[in-house]
Amino acid sequence: MKAKNLSFWLVFLLLLVIFFLSLSLGAYRLSLPELIKTLFSPIFPSLRESTSEAAQSIIFQIRLPRILLAMIIGCALSLSGASLQALFRNPLVNEYLLGLSSGAAFGASLSIVFFGPKIPVQLSAFLFSLMAVFIVLLVSRSPGGSIVSLLLTGVIVSAFFSALLTTVEYLASPYALQALFFWLMGSFSLAGWREVIITGPIILIAAFFLLLFRWRLNLLSLSEEEGRSLGINVQREKLIVIALATLMTSAAVAAVGIIGWIGLIVPHLARMMVGADNRRVLPFSALLGSSLLLLADDLARALTSFEIPVGIFTSLIGIPLFIYLLKKSTRLWLS
Amino acid sequence: MDETQFLIEVKKLRFSYDSFQLDIDSLSFPAGKITAIIGPNGAGKTTLLKCLAGLLPIEKKTIFYDSQDIARLKEPARARIIGYVPQEHSLAFNYSVLEFVVMGRAAHLSLFSLPSSRDFESAHQALEFVGLSSFASRPLSELSSGERRLVLIARSLAQETPVLLLDEPTTFLDIRHGLEILGLVRRLAGQKGKTIVLTLHDINQAAQFADNLVMIKQGKVVASGDPFRVLTEELLEDVYGVKVSLLDLSGRRFIVIHS
Repeated sequence: MKAKNLSFWLVFLLLLVIFFLSLSLGAYRLSLPELIKTLFSPIFPSLRESTSEAAQSIIFQIRLPRILLAMIIGCALSLSGASLQALFRNPLVNEYLLGLSSGAAFGASLSIVFFGPKIPVQLSAFLFSLMAVFIVLLVSRSPGGSIVSLLLTGVIVSAFFSALLTTVEYLASPYALQALFFWLMGSFSLAGWREVIITGPIILIAAFFLLLFRWRLNLLSLSEEEGRSLGINVQREKLIVIALATLMTSAAVAAVGIIGWIGLIVPHLARMMVGADNRRVLPFSALLGSSLLLLADDLARALTSFEIPVGIFTSLIGIPLFIYLLKKSTRLWLS
Repeated sequence: MDETQFLIEVKKLRFSYDSFQLDIDSLSFPAGKITAIIGPNGAGKTTLLKCLAGLLPIEKKTIFYDSQDIARLKEPARARIIGYVPQEHSLAFNYSVLEFVVMGRAAHLSLFSLPSSRDFESAHQALEFVGLSSFASRPLSELSSGERRLVLIARSLAQETPVLLLDEPTTFLDIRHGLEILGLVRRLAGQKGKTIVLTLHDINQAAQFADNLVMIKQGKVVASGDPFRVLTEELLEDVYGVKVSLLDLSGRRFIVIHS
């Protein structure tokens, strides 16, 4: 138990370090004292005189919103990944593999290209990712449904929504197409306060309820019959989790496009460090996911002179890990 | 521990799936006693047990626990009366023994809450009762199949129900571990006054451990009541299709099966 508490402190410390590192990172150089002075100047107005106008605007208009958004979305994708894994009773699933991300992307693109502000991107993304998860649930619900059928269904659902997305792209004007294409790759480069203010509350409220629900996830990860014999209304509680997890994923996709694999990597690392109990896995994943996506975004913008979309980055790390885990768990999913 | 004792009554229960049909007009399970359901493979032992557990969609007014119709109870209310121990649990995540056992408390907790220290206390007590206190922080994957069976029983003890249903608690266990489980079941009926119903393959185990027997064949009750009344040569030969001899030794009946 001691070691597990220590892990929480360490991941919290990690988040703090990466937070300050991210604030100082960029073309405009800021020393650490300068950075801290600027950051705290809204609270202590006396600090304001010793900071430059340029530093103020770089920190508050450019870097801080981007950092906050990366943290919120890292948290969202990790929490929804961890809860979906419990729900589907399999540590290998995540919102990307199940087709939720593609569903959300199609929904969002529909809104961007055809409806504009009439139907909010978030709503349209939410509805279509909800549709994706229900298709997966229905199709893969064969008796003794294995991970193979689950993953295959996810692949099919993804392919279906990708096809729909391609149709939207085909019909889009060249200008809209360019925006769509850039957004789909998953990037924080256009992130500003607007995204933080729209996406932040949706995700934080869903995260709050999912965290309250975290112990019930343990029960949902048992067989349906066991859950029911222990007094769980399995259908209703699954719906609660699906609604919250889908809401978070779709809000994240609507804001920054598809950032895959975070929902797989983070809960795995969390379970390695704090054990399988979701009472610890969820809060730990939230902190770790924030740190790691922020770190990934730092690397994406600092590694080369041009900016790599962070979604490409997480896929390059996530896919080899997935293959490794799949190989390791062969014994498990054959049984 | 003093718990109210529950009598279980079955009235006109019909349940069918595929080509199988369970058809029971009237049957009762005495309160505070151990009843074993016996019968050959495919007779419907597990189906009957799952109907009793409320896990299968049964019609209203067919199964009563002390005059409460279980088909009308919501999941948590039902799970505060009936504990159900499946044959095997499926494990997607490697929880520790204590984390697993404390899940038995779900029916006592509200939707958005975590188990309290009182719930963990109850889980610890359950582990102590089955003799696995020292296993609390071990991961489930490290346990033998006999130990896992005990952990499953501990989980339903943490549920603190007056009724306990066990599905084939001794299958796949060697003789010693099988006896250990049945001894534990005896203590649960004796010390805690629980009403216990279990399905058993082995008719000799049933003869020696159960206070009461229900013998079924093709979904119908052939005989029920005192083991001496149920375990007769004619009935056994009819239900199991084998030749047997009976041996009464120190107040117990043993069945010798001729090959």
